[in-house]
Amino acid sequence: MFLQVVFILSALLTVVSAVMVVFTRHIMYAAVYLLGSLIGVAGLYLTLGADTLAATQLLVYVGGILIIMIFAIMLTGGQDFMKNSRKSFLQVPFMGNVKTYVFGGLAALVMGSIGTKLIMNVADRFSEHSEMLSYQSTIEVIGEALVTDHVLVFEISSVLLLGALIGAATIARPIKKQ
Amino acid sequence: MEHTIVGYFLQFEIMKNLVEMASSTLGFNASSIIAFIIFLTASLILLLIAATIGGLGTFAERKISADMQMRPGPNRVGPYGIVQMVADFIKLFLKEDIVPVNADRFLFYIAPILAIVGVLGTFAVLPISSGLIISDLNVALFYAVGISSLVGLGIFLGGYASNSKWSMLGGMRGAAQIVSYEIPVILSMFTVILFAGGLSFGAILENQSGGPIGWYLFHNPFTFIAFFVYFIGILAETNRAPFDLPESESELVSGYNTEFTGMRYAFFALAEYMEVFVVAAFASALFLGGYKIPFNIGGDSLIGQVLQAGMFFTKVALIYYVVIWIRWTLPRMRVDNLMTLCWKYLTPIAFFNLIGSAVWIYYFGNKSMWNLIFS
Amino acid sequence: MMNLAAYLFISLVLFLCGIIVIIARKNIVAILIGMELILNAAALNFVAYSRYVTHHIDGHIFPLFIIVVAAAEAVVGLAIVIRFFQIKETIHIDDATQLQS
Repeated sequence: MFLQVVFILSALLTVVSAVMVVFTRHIMYAAVYLLGSLIGVAGLYLTLGADTLAATQLLVYVGGILIIMIFAIMLTGGQDFMKNSRKSFLQVPFMGNVKTYVFGGLAALVMGSIGTKLIMNVADRFSEHSEMLSYQSTIEVIGEALVTDHVLVFEISSVLLLGALIGAATIARPIKKQ
Repeated sequence: MEHTIVGYFLQFEIMKNLVEMASSTLGFNASSIIAFIIFLTASLILLLIAATIGGLGTFAERKISADMQMRPGPNRVGPYGIVQMVADFIKLFLKEDIVPVNADRFLFYIAPILAIVGVLGTFAVLPISSGLIISDLNVALFYAVGISSLVGLGIFLGGYASNSKWSMLGGMRGAAQIVSYEIPVILSMFTVILFAGGLSFGAILENQSGGPIGWYLFHNPFTFIAFFVYFIGILAETNRAPFDLPESESELVSGYNTEFTGMRYAFFALAEYMEVFVVAAFASALFLGGYKIPFNIGGDSLIGQVLQAGMFFTKVALIYYVVIWIRWTLPRMRVDNLMTLCWKYLTPIAFFNLIGSAVWIYYFGNKSMWNLIFS
Repeated sequence: MMNLAAYLFISLVLFLCGIIVIIARKNIVAILIGMELILNAAALNFVAYSRYVTHHIDGHIFPLFIIVVAAAEAVVGLAIVIRFFQIKETIHIDDATQLQS
């Protein structure tokens, strides 16, 4: 009951925010809608019983990536960027006329229904295994798996992060005046 | 479910009877509805407590600063001026809500809400006593750090949306500061987590005892250093002096909240004071034994719960006093000094602590300094 | 209602939104935002399959690394964007035609 309410709310938040990311005209709003989508995905993780992942999602995406993105938006022109750019999103020409849109829409509908049918098949095939696991905390299991089975990936990702840190600091260094 | 406030209440016979009664009246298993009602009530009570804490924070700030500057401070409304916070609240509530013409309305509306949601979310895992904790999540610390980063986002967006140079500078400083200082703070938390062996407050508080000898602060030299790193980090993360660069009155008029009036400003102010409370509570739970009382007086009964809550609030109030004391004593730092302090001093020290704690665990296990000295 | 298909459908919507953002937007930061959506769609699929199909914790490990890679990618990408803006004073993707400044 609770889980279903959480699921509906998270799914709505995720999908609506993702669609708004596409249709908003302001790059800053896109970042804020991305925040909604990320929080929605964190809620979906919760309904799937992945509490560690939900917390990590909040910590890394909201606390780190999103703030860095907004920083980048502000450092590269800020709010007036979309309005004053000579080739803004508003000036992108429509890629077709009524005929192409009708044709494209029908094709998308057909493709979508085929895709849904395929997904339904997959879901049906596994429906006999789909009884819920009991929700339990995953953090101990994940912690053990990270340092036993997946220790190589763990180490490699640490090297990757170190490389990203040094690389970003090197690339974004201000240009020296000669 | 047993690690939440619902689990605590369901221990009692009266609650079980209530569930049975509700089930027989409604005709289906009512335990989830009862659980929902308990959660809702607890959340509402905690919300009221949080708002009161924010108000008391503003009052304490004014009174203590007045004390340090040998002024009387607010003393007209009520005894010792304690109703001043209600007066402040009514004033802010009745103020005209001004939105600047060129402000970004959507972001301007959403920024204070983000800030206050980020703080109120952390109240869900606050261990006030062994019974009064809304949910003892297994990833409590992780969750708290993650959800409180919404405050930084709120400050940043508030500064951006006001369309004012001062707000913009304040917001950017705030976001940079909060993101940077999260690293030493989290690493210092990990130092304790290594010894506790769990991210939930239940696990962290389990190995601590009421007396100072059992606290993680005096567990070994590394946790002792980690406490001070954590303390400096939280001062910066909550934008308190000497790190209050986002709202430095002498350079930026009031920083990120220059353009905010009325309730929106009140949200930002409340968020700041409640966040100081929350991080002080985490400091007390991580390093100072939290709600544990010496010799376990009172046990699990109601008296024990009240004593535990009193212990918790006493420790938090002490840390709160120190935070305000520091604010009215030290001058403000410069921006480059701030970043130098974080990245060149606090982060390496925190890493050293983490490695040192790992070595300590490798050689001595979970024994504390006192165990090694006295045996 | 909460079954594999629902999660896969949400993941599909996220993925499509990400693709559309990447194709339609000409702002480099917007393209990075689209990439975050796509990575989230993939991670959501992993967790959904791990819950309903394999019942194994490996499905929770992979999204962790996806998040790590996403963080690294965002940081390096945005550093490149800021550097690009310093040189060209625009972040329009069509202006990025040279490998060397």
